[in-house]
Amino acid sequence: MLVACDFHNHSCLSPCASLELSPSLLAALARERGLGLVALTDHNSALNAPAFAAAARREGVAALYGIEACSAEEVHVLCLFDEPDAALAFGDFLAERLPSYPYDPEALGDQAVVDEDDNVVDLPQTYFGAALELGFDELCAGAAGLGALVVPAHIDRPMFGAIAQLGFLPDGPYAAVESIRPLPPEAARGYTRIRGSDAHYPEHVARRPFGLELGAGWMKAGGRVDLVAVRGALAAGLVRLPDERG
Amino acid sequence: MNISDLKGRLGLEELQGAYEDRPLTGGYSSDLLSDVMAKAEKDQALITIQAHKNTVAVATLVGLAAVIVCNARPVPQDMIDAARDEGVAVFRTGMTQFQAAGLLYAALGSGA
Repeated sequence: MLVACDFHNHSCLSPCASLELSPSLLAALARERGLGLVALTDHNSALNAPAFAAAARREGVAALYGIEACSAEEVHVLCLFDEPDAALAFGDFLAERLPSYPYDPEALGDQAVVDEDDNVVDLPQTYFGAALELGFDELCAGAAGLGALVVPAHIDRPMFGAIAQLGFLPDGPYAAVESIRPLPPEAARGYTRIRGSDAHYPEHVARRPFGLELGAGWMKAGGRVDLVAVRGALAAGLVRLPDERG
Repeated sequence: MNISDLKGRLGLEELQGAYEDRPLTGGYSSDLLSDVMAKAEKDQALITIQAHKNTVAVATLVGLAAVIVCNARPVPQDMIDAARDEGVAVFRTGMTQFQAAGLLYAALGSGA
């Protein structure tokens, strides 16, 4: 079956995202706008994954729990897990590698951990927008080693993408690569290309979905997504992209 | 001024010293390797904090004479290995890019 996917979305935990875009609103908008499989990927943290899990269950949308990690080279990488706890554990690993900046919410934006009903539970004082003290290759290998789908994010952006920061996409354990615009084949270096909304505001949700052909059973008992099936479909190139010309 | 003069003139730590010595024509400072590919020129020293094996690949592509890693950033072993394979000199310093560029500019400007 063809599943409408979007693997790149922020919530009010990301300092650069709208406070309005709570995990519950993301799940509700994803359902309203026809997504079947949606990931939450805040910057360097998964603290809103539990709320997103509850909200996605409520909305009947399949979910992945991720982090958009920022490597030492300032390359953004989506690291996607099938369970909120796995994403939280990866977030703990990253937290030890975040530099301690003086964090000023006025200047840098609020970072709200919320529950599934949008109640603010915590306002972490570590700035999640910083680059980790963790190199790109080590980050990708570490996430892949923990079973994550690893997807270099917006590799065609002029900042924070692999090509801008590193000149070209290095080899890595990628399940796919994300770009905003169609890529020349040589830029994707043979990896399957997906696109993503990189939603920071409610109006961004579902603006750049992609279709993925998944076999029956891609969703396991309890609504858990079969990462092996998703990885297999990506590796097989079963991605359907709209005509993006013009 | 040659590549081999960098270490002493700027007080750098030499991380990869297997290179063919030749005159430096200038320097380029950037942390975006796509920008380095587009703007840096042959036989310049790259002053950067971007310590990744791709830095060496880009240095080779452009024909850079040396890479100077600033702020005492950790340099991964695979970057040093790649630099040895390609014969690219790699140095490191605790200085900022601003300080390293200033010293290199002055050293080159003196005609030495």
